[in-house]
Amino acid sequence: MDFSIDAATAHRLAAFDRLGREQMRPLGLEADRLGRPTPPDHPYFQTLIGMGFGRTRWRPSRGERSRGEESSDKVGNSRATLLLSEQLSYWDRGVAVSAPGPGLGEGAIISMGTEDQKQRYLTPFINPDKPRWGAFAMTEPAAGSDVAGIQTRAIRDGNDWVLIGNKSFSGNSSRADFILVWATVDPSLGRAGHRAFLVEHGMPGLQDFHIERKMGLKAYESTSFRLEECRVPGANLLGGEAHYEKRAGFKGAMDTFNSTRPMVAAMAVGIGRSALDEAIAFARAEGMTDDPRIRDRLERAARKLRAARLLSLKAAWLADHRQPNIVEASMSKALAPTAAFEAASLGMELLGLAGARGDHLIEKLFRDVKAMDIVEGTGQIQRVVMARKLVDLPQS
Amino acid sequence: MFDMSLGEDLSLIQDQVRHFSTRVLHERHREFEERHEVPESVVAEFAALGLAGLELPETLGGAGLGALAKVLVLEELGAGDPGAALALDGLGAALYPLAELGGPAAIETYAVPLLDKPAARALLVWGDSERPGGNRKPLCGAHTCDGTIPWVPAQHADRVVVLDREGAAVLDSGFRFTPLKGSGLRAAGAAQLDFIDAPIRERWQDREGAARALARWQLHTAALMVGLMRTAAETSREYAMQRVAFGKPIAHHQALAFLIADMRSAVDATRILVQEAAWRADRGLPFTGAAATAFVEAVEASMFVTPNALQIFGGQGFMQDLPLEKYMREARTLGLLAGGVDLARDIAGTEVTTSSDGFALSPILAEES
Repeated sequence: MDFSIDAATAHRLAAFDRLGREQMRPLGLEADRLGRPTPPDHPYFQTLIGMGFGRTRWRPSRGERSRGEESSDKVGNSRATLLLSEQLSYWDRGVAVSAPGPGLGEGAIISMGTEDQKQRYLTPFINPDKPRWGAFAMTEPAAGSDVAGIQTRAIRDGNDWVLIGNKSFSGNSSRADFILVWATVDPSLGRAGHRAFLVEHGMPGLQDFHIERKMGLKAYESTSFRLEECRVPGANLLGGEAHYEKRAGFKGAMDTFNSTRPMVAAMAVGIGRSALDEAIAFARAEGMTDDPRIRDRLERAARKLRAARLLSLKAAWLADHRQPNIVEASMSKALAPTAAFEAASLGMELLGLAGARGDHLIEKLFRDVKAMDIVEGTGQIQRVVMARKLVDLPQS
Repeated sequence: MFDMSLGEDLSLIQDQVRHFSTRVLHERHREFEERHEVPESVVAEFAALGLAGLELPETLGGAGLGALAKVLVLEELGAGDPGAALALDGLGAALYPLAELGGPAAIETYAVPLLDKPAARALLVWGDSERPGGNRKPLCGAHTCDGTIPWVPAQHADRVVVLDREGAAVLDSGFRFTPLKGSGLRAAGAAQLDFIDAPIRERWQDREGAARALARWQLHTAALMVGLMRTAAETSREYAMQRVAFGKPIAHHQALAFLIADMRSAVDATRILVQEAAWRADRGLPFTGAAATAFVEAVEASMFVTPNALQIFGGQGFMQDLPLEKYMREARTLGLLAGGVDLARDIAGTEVTTSSDGFALSPILAEES
């Protein structure tokens, strides 16, 4: 067993701290104050590109050699990625999500996409000339956690597909080059009817982008849009026809959720740590830390965050070793957001009425953190997922 | 880099202890409780596993393994019967003040001789009868100890070590056990322990050493609680899948499905806090805050898991035909040891509020080079 981080990761974390302190946190506070996402042409995004962010992890395959590379890369590195995500969220989770890059759909494109699709949609992210975004759209007004219930229709028309429906809360989608849109060929088929499409910005029928007004995390856009008979070439069906004949489309979506739960748990831990650090600093400055009533609550908040952080790392470690991690991934995702919320809420209590002024970082974090118990499967869904494994809870 | 794999040696030890604990301790735990002791044959079988000197240095005939190995072993023993674990591990937590305050010489003088006698016990007690908001009444002065410990999970001891905030004292005489029924952990015995002008054989004054010894004791106890909670959670999970009410297994009613998921989370969260603190101790890093944190979590989690495990069994859980009521009593009594949970809150909370570099609560450490 080992609870340390390697020097390379520690070095990258330290580099993030500078970016976080000097750019991310001020940018997050600014977006919160102005009540709008950071605009796509903001120099911050160009800075990120210059630093090497916003890139895809995909590389075009060149025969034998890349296959060899793949097999040697047996142990994954999601622990390092998780720690970096946590640290970015420590400085500002909204700003972190606004970062350019291929987005949440990247994993699905890499695992399900055809060679041609990877070439067309991921190549621009290998060495981007400017900030570029990819987006992912699953959630609908009437289908959130229950992704099997999506209603957006995909109708075959000659060589094309026609998409009709509405999507909600899709991060960065109005500024994205492409959106990976999930739709169904037949709602009565449930998950078996699901298909994913690469819809490009500017395709006719992709319209009515509406940037939602949120309680927190204002630095990135959560966008709703409409697919009004949006015509998509057959070649943009993710994975091609053959893929769906072999296995259910739904599984592709759940695979991407799977690996990201510990990551989202880590983001919650990052926000919680941020709130706790501020709360401790405030309590110290006010001479409150000798009061056992205050100290015990700080201890509890720190303890819950500590456990959540370790459990998210454990889930990531399992994923890195290709071991089943469904229970552990959901466990970390179930525990971390409530631990982080508790830290932020405690911070508000310590601030007292000063917390109600609406101009303290802790107050912003208190609003930001609530989303973490909702995205990537609510706390309730995580418990359902765990119970399916632990007690064979039936699917319906 | 963060890695949860145990490696071959520790996996092997874990398997051996699990096998023994399942086959012997868990099977006979009611008998041990009834007798207020573990029979000699079981003591002999445990001794044959060769775990008595697990943490002792190799130069003194031990295995030279660390706190992490120990908490893995204790979790397995606690999963079988935590009372028996206390009885079988004759040196028990008494080793820690000897090692942290007295060093190798003290281990050689006071610990090693006991290892040769299978039924020998050294007993560790907390000598600061401090309560939140109350007065401090230390048990020991410079030369003698006087006072009463209302309950100890033992009926006899060859040697008593009294640990307090200032240091530790070793005593071989001047104390008396008065047997009690006890609330939990009866397999280890139950008694009131009186010190009457008891002569101190050796005393060490060292607050930092005492803090480390206490931290190791907290980890020792928390590891037993992890095992106990694990058994309680698993027993009730399995039952909830069998028992049918209102037309389906009770586990498939969402109130219980969620509860069972949360119980599993509580066990896993405690375990990883215990293991991380033990790893810190083995690495020579500061670990008193981490150990106190793990202990507080163990106490809180065990008071969530064990009563709910009983609850899942309903009326049957309250009956002594089943072990659920025993799990709950034993979890409660374990949490009273090692100075109690409020002392641990003091220690963990002080670390949280006084550490200088932001999130020094960080359980993850950058490698030195």
